[in-house]
Amino acid sequence: MAILDESVIKDTTKALLNMVKEVRLVLFTQGVECSYCKETHQLLEELLTTNKLLGLEVHQFESDSDAAKKYGIDKIPAIAVVGEKDYGIRFYGIPAGYEFSSLLAAILMVSTGKHKITEAGMKFMDGLKKPVHLQVFVMPTCPYCPKAVMLAHQMAYFSDKITADMVEISGFPHLTQKYSVQGVPRTVINEKWYLEGAAPEAMVMKKIEEAIKHA
Amino acid sequence: MLNFSVNLGSDADSSIVYDLIIIGGGPAGLTCGLYAARYKLRTLMIEKAPMTGGQLTTTEWVENYPGFPEPVLGAKLAKDMENQAKLFGLEIEYEDVIKVDLAPKIKEVITAENTWKARSILISTGSSPRMLGVPGEQEFSGKGVSYCATCDGPFYPDKTVAVVGGGNSAFEESLFIAKYAAKIHIIHMLDKFQADQVLIDKVKANPKIELITNTVVTEFDFDQDPRKVILKNTETGKSSELVVDGAFVFIGAIPNTKIFEGQLDLDHGYIVTDQDHNTSQEGVFAAGDVEAKELRQVATAVGDGALAAYKIHKYLDNPEL
Repeated sequence: MAILDESVIKDTTKALLNMVKEVRLVLFTQGVECSYCKETHQLLEELLTTNKLLGLEVHQFESDSDAAKKYGIDKIPAIAVVGEKDYGIRFYGIPAGYEFSSLLAAILMVSTGKHKITEAGMKFMDGLKKPVHLQVFVMPTCPYCPKAVMLAHQMAYFSDKITADMVEISGFPHLTQKYSVQGVPRTVINEKWYLEGAAPEAMVMKKIEEAIKHA
Repeated sequence: MLNFSVNLGSDADSSIVYDLIIIGGGPAGLTCGLYAARYKLRTLMIEKAPMTGGQLTTTEWVENYPGFPEPVLGAKLAKDMENQAKLFGLEIEYEDVIKVDLAPKIKEVITAENTWKARSILISTGSSPRMLGVPGEQEFSGKGVSYCATCDGPFYPDKTVAVVGGGNSAFEESLFIAKYAAKIHIIHMLDKFQADQVLIDKVKANPKIELITNTVVTEFDFDQDPRKVILKNTETGKSSELVVDGAFVFIGAIPNTKIFEGQLDLDHGYIVTDQDHNTSQEGVFAAGDVEAKELRQVATAVGDGALAAYKIHKYLDNPEL
């Protein structure tokens, strides 16, 4: 049975009509002991049918550890959205519900080069000297979450110093413990710094500045 | 059951003057958008969230919107409204409005990314959850104190939570949270609930939910383990503690009108409108929860949006404009 219904395929096809350059979805999966690996794989297979510029590359997480290392993948299912280069855009867990749009937005951004980062934001990121890792914890039913995810992914796209993960919490309960996530979206910056809610760009930048200063 | 939602902006053109810009994509805005698009007005909706629906997206089931004898999912109802409006040509951009200039004939709506122009404006920005304003609330907002059940309800499997409020939202969302939590205490400041009787009956029949009346929350003492909500009985003045894992606050809403201050007449923050949805500024209309009025429902928002579109159509038809 198809995972994407007809109307979603139709809307997706329409949305992706604007694609310009090829985008490769690099999936890390495994046959057993992985919640939503199978569904995520099927989702990407069906997504592939909506635009010829989309490509899929599948790696087995355990047996293909070189690839996992190359892409910095530490949990599954994982999707890296790769264009002319790897921008550090990742999805951990299935991008379902409202997060499906975050996946489409990342694909479009990588394909068209269009993002909505402000002048001030670009200037700030140009000045970054140290690496920044953003993990945005989400729930597929959370309407505020894609905003936080899309912003983080845009920042990763723009800056070589930034990598950004969407993490769908139901697949990774140990991480909700580790980062004491009790509400979504919650953005974790470089493991130790936290931001609650879908914060505007300026607020995220300020928090990053704080995280770097006190690192 | 997995579902997948496609919400991406249209390629709107910021160089043209729209007939109508709708700020806010809840049921009022979506209905106005549908009607306006059918009048063939070139209409752009600007929504700050990455999807339309407004408060429909933060509730699970809608039971009192006519035409759906089986409850309809809030998110689905919103998506269907959006699709219907888009079918007739409504354009939608997902941007956050930071400034408006409403006085000139050609009005401007400024976002971080663009300056949009239109001959008329509909404001349907709705409202945001009201905070209690007690110690510990801000500090633990998103870390144990929540305002969105569909977002954070699943964090409390087999846990105990407090729900503050006595209206429809508090009762509806408690029933949603009860799918996860083991115990829910609804805390209400009065002895009578404002929620619809059918909801009150449902909540009372749910063995997981307990009702605490005549009681206010004075503090979220979430700094230590176990977490406690500090309560005060409004009749006796006596304080007590309630051990919980988290809390949800549903005590009404505050209108999203900050960017209109000084440009429109407001009443307690809500936009003052006449029966035709005119605001104090010519060519600027308002519809839905953001208006100063008594009842705020999906059904009333939809009616407001339809009438506003009709009046906007008439306004734009004026040859002297």
